[in-house]
Amino acid sequence: MDPKLKETILNPILKGNPITVLILGICSSLAVTVQLKGALVMAISVTLVTGLSSLVCSLLRNTIPMRVRIIVQLVVVALMVILVDQILKAGEGTYAIDKQLSVYIGLIITNCIVMGRIEAFALGNKPIPSLLDGLANGVGYGLILIIVAFFRELFGSGTLFGIQILPAGYIPNNLVILPPFALILLGCIIWAQRAWDKDLQEK
Amino acid sequence: MNTNSNAYTVIYTALVVVVVAAVLAFTAMKLKPSQDANAKAETLRQMMSAAQIKPTDELYATRNAGVLQLYADNIDRAYTIGLDGQENGTLSTDLKKIELIDKLKPQNKAIKDGGEATLPVYVFKSGISVIPVYGAGLWGPIWGYIAFQPDGRTIAGAYFDHESETPGLGAKIKDEAWFREKFAGKQVAFGSEPLFNLAKNAEQSGAANAVDAITGATMTSKGLGEALNVWFKAYEKHFSANFKAEEE
Repeated sequence: MDPKLKETILNPILKGNPITVLILGICSSLAVTVQLKGALVMAISVTLVTGLSSLVCSLLRNTIPMRVRIIVQLVVVALMVILVDQILKAGEGTYAIDKQLSVYIGLIITNCIVMGRIEAFALGNKPIPSLLDGLANGVGYGLILIIVAFFRELFGSGTLFGIQILPAGYIPNNLVILPPFALILLGCIIWAQRAWDKDLQEK
Repeated sequence: MNTNSNAYTVIYTALVVVVVAAVLAFTAMKLKPSQDANAKAETLRQMMSAAQIKPTDELYATRNAGVLQLYADNIDRAYTIGLDGQENGTLSTDLKKIELIDKLKPQNKAIKDGGEATLPVYVFKSGISVIPVYGAGLWGPIWGYIAFQPDGRTIAGAYFDHESETPGLGAKIKDEAWFREKFAGKQVAFGSEPLFNLAKNAEQSGAANAVDAITGATMTSKGLGEALNVWFKAYEKHFSANFKAEEE
């Protein structure tokens, strides 16, 4: 594969991860990581939204008037988010998850990752790399979401995907359920990543 | 072409908005039937949760067909009453075309302002009757289903839901099983005031119609208490006339 394309795909997942390195999209990663199921749906939704919005904005990049580009981007992102929300509401299996995620699906519009990638990448690149960049950023975001949700659901409820994992005698840790714990976990993940990848350490 | 001219900018943004609106309108129209089916199944789930009907079908949680079937198997009859407490309509309980009054907002308006109301009563084969309640929370509407024992005053179960109450505070009316379980066994004081008392430390009085409000969710609790009283009042005549307490 073209090394530049490979870089586009791999960079957002590790070295340029939107959550642990760019520190974007923190708010939603605290809110939707109590259960793996919700985190997974959120991860997929954000991946689709960033990918498709980047694709559309890249296709339009030469026609968008510079003065209103942020507004046009916002309209495109909002369109994608509403489409995702409507489709989730229409699916028999996803309706309950959509209700559970409630406002957070709608708030993908304000997720800094989406607009950030359009501004930083899609407006200056061809559609296919932009699509991949958007998708890869969504995956990088989703990966962290799922890691956090794994620990929070396991120790906060003793389950994974709603299936009891820890023995019945386990007393769920209520701190793990609360949003601040997600911040502690995120800190640990950032620490671990920087210990492993020396390039990320600030001099 | 000069993409920075005023005319271009105006036409471009107008075009983008029109195209986006068209796409959204089309999708919303196409997906409406399945969204409505999901919403209906969700209403049935909530009603049956209040009526203590336990699912027998494992697909119940995700499949609408299982929910409709369970409802059709357990419902005895469903009808509507007017503000005078008289029956004024029947709701179909046939599996093929289950009818619900699931738009509660206009009913709530009718109760408050007077006028034509069709307040639903769902009577299950177990003898338990379920009625809805609806009101305003802190951020948006809150609603629920209250199930009554055959005596028409003892609560068998309750289920509450909301549109946008604060997670961890007001949202507890839905999320916390202990809150709705408190309602089971309570009695609505038909014929006296207040019909139901949802307030801080209300349970200390030992009254059969008292439930403690949720700490930290003052406005949501207040809204729920009002919703309960407004709707119980609307059903008072009907319940007093048609359900008799056995021991009296």
